[in-house]
Amino acid sequence: MTGRPIVCATRGGEASRRAQERAIALAREQGAPLIFLFVADIGPLKPSKDLVDVLTDELEQLGASLLCIAQARAHEHGIEAAMVIRRGAVRPALESFLREVDAGTLVIGAPERGAEHPPVFDPAGMDHFAAQIRAGLGVEVVVVE
Amino acid sequence: MENFLAVETLIILLLLVVCVVALVVRRVRLPYTVALVLVGLFITVKQPLAFEVTPELILALFVPPLIFQAAFHLEFNDLRDNLVPILTLAVPGVLLSTLIVSGIVALGVGLPLTIAVVFGALISATDPVSVIALFRTLGVSRRLAVTVEGESLLNDGTAIVVFNLALAAALTGSFNLVTGVIDFLWVALGGLGIGLALGWVVARLIALIDDYLVEITLTTVLAYGAYLLAEQVHVSGVLAVVAAGLVGGNIGPRGMSPTTKIVLYNFWEYLAFLANSLVFLLIGLRINVIELTSHIVPIVVAVGAVLVSRAVVVYGLLWATHALGSRARMPLAWQHVVFWGGLRGAIGLALVLSLPRDLASTSQLEVMAFGVVLFTLLAQGTTIQFLLKRLKLSERFPPIVAREVRLGRLYAAQAGLRRLVDLHQDGLLTGDVWAGLRDEYNRTNQRLADEMTQLFVEHADLEREVVLRARREALRAERSALGDALRQGLISEDVYRELAGAVDRRLEALTLIGASIGAPMEDSGE
Repeated sequence: MTGRPIVCATRGGEASRRAQERAIALAREQGAPLIFLFVADIGPLKPSKDLVDVLTDELEQLGASLLCIAQARAHEHGIEAAMVIRRGAVRPALESFLREVDAGTLVIGAPERGAEHPPVFDPAGMDHFAAQIRAGLGVEVVVVE
Repeated sequence: MENFLAVETLIILLLLVVCVVALVVRRVRLPYTVALVLVGLFITVKQPLAFEVTPELILALFVPPLIFQAAFHLEFNDLRDNLVPILTLAVPGVLLSTLIVSGIVALGVGLPLTIAVVFGALISATDPVSVIALFRTLGVSRRLAVTVEGESLLNDGTAIVVFNLALAAALTGSFNLVTGVIDFLWVALGGLGIGLALGWVVARLIALIDDYLVEITLTTVLAYGAYLLAEQVHVSGVLAVVAAGLVGGNIGPRGMSPTTKIVLYNFWEYLAFLANSLVFLLIGLRINVIELTSHIVPIVVAVGAVLVSRAVVVYGLLWATHALGSRARMPLAWQHVVFWGGLRGAIGLALVLSLPRDLASTSQLEVMAFGVVLFTLLAQGTTIQFLLKRLKLSERFPPIVAREVRLGRLYAAQAGLRRLVDLHQDGLLTGDVWAGLRDEYNRTNQRLADEMTQLFVEHADLEREVVLRARREALRAERSALGDALRQGLISEDVYRELAGAVDRRLEALTLIGASIGAPMEDSGE
């Protein structure tokens, strides 16, 4: 494996499968390592205190299941992808991880229309975030519709 | 004692009828409440029961659990987001409806205006139980359902307050507008105040207790206690229950363990089912069809008045709120549903039955009220589904329907294959016949699985939903296994509670996750 890693951030939303396939294709083209990332962010769920731990745990379990599915898909295409789960607010956790692994590309699904409550990114917010990541970290951002 | 046994026998028979109707109605396309009324009518025609439906029975026994349960499930945020249309329909809407109905009825039937106002008030409260049930079944927009349910909760209280003021005016022959407005505010705000205060106290108590049986009993005390206390001090019992239910449902659960929440939601669902079923069955049992047919003209006038007033209230007031700058604009298609879904039910009948016998035209008002309720249930209640479909408000997200179709086929095909395996193992299916059938079933299963995979490629969120649902099923199996272990004496009650509580917390967490990604776990209140 050569090149800076490709990070595919996934939450299992509508475009996530297409984003994963795009990330797998890029990893094959570039021969770069592929990492599937899930951020368990319980903030928007506003849980009561007694639910915080168990909610985090369940969200991580959901993430682990989704990442395992993505990993299996990558394996089918001959790519051995890593999977990582991080906790916290999505944007800072993503930025911090991209910096940590010195990622070359971030592949992410386009914002869902009205599916998440509240949405992590709205379309304008996504454009702004992508521009920030490109400028600040030098990471190429691929938004998959 | 004999009398007690006779009443008990009657209740058991009515519950048996309720069960039969609930089961049969699944096979026929008829709203449950409408079916109950029809069965009640049928029983009355065949053999009238010696049974008196008193207003106290409906208002003090059946209405509190119905209102409490509905308010309990209504979230503050949903209510706040839809407050403008809800309050518009529930307060000025009821006042306007009372005026329009009374005007038309006074002119059309020749009732004295004071009596007509009493009728206008008592018939203005909507009771869309069957409509709300249909909304849930058809997956209609939550905002529309909240508006219809919120309106019906609050307009019950408004209608009862206006009814009492109108009745006092009719009996005394005098009415002072200023006093009337002050009385209205006192009765309404007093009821809300009592409900809020009791709701808060009970929510605080619940936070201190960790015993689900006591906590559920406290909510029962809250629902009925709020009603009784408010009525004792002559303020609105219904509004007290609404406020108590809202506070109880929004603040109370914060102090409850997940186990308590699950049992509590089940308890109130059951109590509301019982109350709702008996109310509508009793409505059917109380209606005298022969009497209705002999008063057809006043009934037709009353029905017309109710429809005209509903149209003016819904289309007129909602347009006015928008014209006055409210941003909460309701689509026209929704307004049609709010108009046609404005069924009348238990509150109107309880109020008309509470009229003093010495009031002029009481029997005529009774017949008119029963006629209106019957019309709205039979005509509007049975056609609202058609309207929702025509307006395309009940259309489900096509990929979800597609997934269900494939899942259904896959489920059926696998059951078929299992049966063939049984036959093969019993030696009843052998050789090429067995091999041919097995291969064909395997091909079908593979094709369906491939189709499902393709669907997930296009809509990966469905795959996430499947993961969540599978996890929930697994947790429910874990909980069930814990119950088995307890029954078999493998674990003690304390250990069971601790472990079952942990599973319940996980189920609750899944409900939160499901709601946040727009994939509600349908039995969140299990």
